[in-house]
Amino acid sequence: MKMPNRRIRPITVPITSMGDIAFLLIIFFMVCSDFAKESNVKWTKAQAPDVHKIQKSRISVAIDKDGEIYLQGQRLPDPDAVEAGVAALMQLRSGPDAKLIMFKCDRGVDKSVFEPVVGAIARAGGTIVAVGEKEEKR
Amino acid sequence: MSFVRQREQRETTVPMDSISDIAFLLIIFFILATSIQRFAGFQAEIPSAERSQETEKTEKMPSVIVRGGGVMLNDNPVDMEQLRAGLLALKLPSKPEGQRVVVVETSGRIPYQTYFEVMSAISAAGGIMGILSEEQGDKK
Repeated sequence: MKMPNRRIRPITVPITSMGDIAFLLIIFFMVCSDFAKESNVKWTKAQAPDVHKIQKSRISVAIDKDGEIYLQGQRLPDPDAVEAGVAALMQLRSGPDAKLIMFKCDRGVDKSVFEPVVGAIARAGGTIVAVGEKEEKR
Repeated sequence: MSFVRQREQRETTVPMDSISDIAFLLIIFFILATSIQRFAGFQAEIPSAERSQETEKTEKMPSVIVRGGGVMLNDNPVDMEQLRAGLLALKLPSKPEGQRVVVVETSGRIPYQTYFEVMSAISAAGGIMGILSEEQGDKK
């Protein structure tokens, strides 16, 4: 008995909605992303056993290995500029974490450089969130 | 004689074929430019100038002296382990805010690593840092 020939249909992948999905992904990344502002700051983290995971703050002060001071990734001339800049940024923010200032400093930087910056943040009314890493057990 | 020519009406279409390619390029850009770092550290309470003056009125506060050579807790030389244990023994969280201040006095060349360890020990013990630098100490 002769079987009827099956009609071969062309297989197509539906890609009509691919653009929509892509744009949804873009919107997701735009909302969730926080751009790496301080990629130009070269620093080595200090270590201590008492560190734990911390909430990321929107305001960031950094001191690189050469002792250069940065606020939100922008280089500043001196600690007085840190005080003014931090105070201005804190005024723009609201909420419970508005006063949290992430402080990143290279572990080798001397007291004469970082202490005036720490003082400037305190004078501006900020609470320092010192960033480092957990010390491995020796 | 008629000068009006009948224009040919063309169907206009916006080319949408490359939209998804552009969108995926944007996604790749966002993935590369986004930082997904998780940070570790601690929150250090450092009083501002007004609060420091208030705390000056209180009685004897614990002090940590950091010099180039080492660390001292209440004038006794200690290592970092002893500093942590000594600060925890003070039971600072149970005390009122004014009595939780630990005065940190620094002099000489001190790398941030040492300062970070001292700050983290004070923070872990529930203390508030009162910074007294060499220059401020000279003024007194």
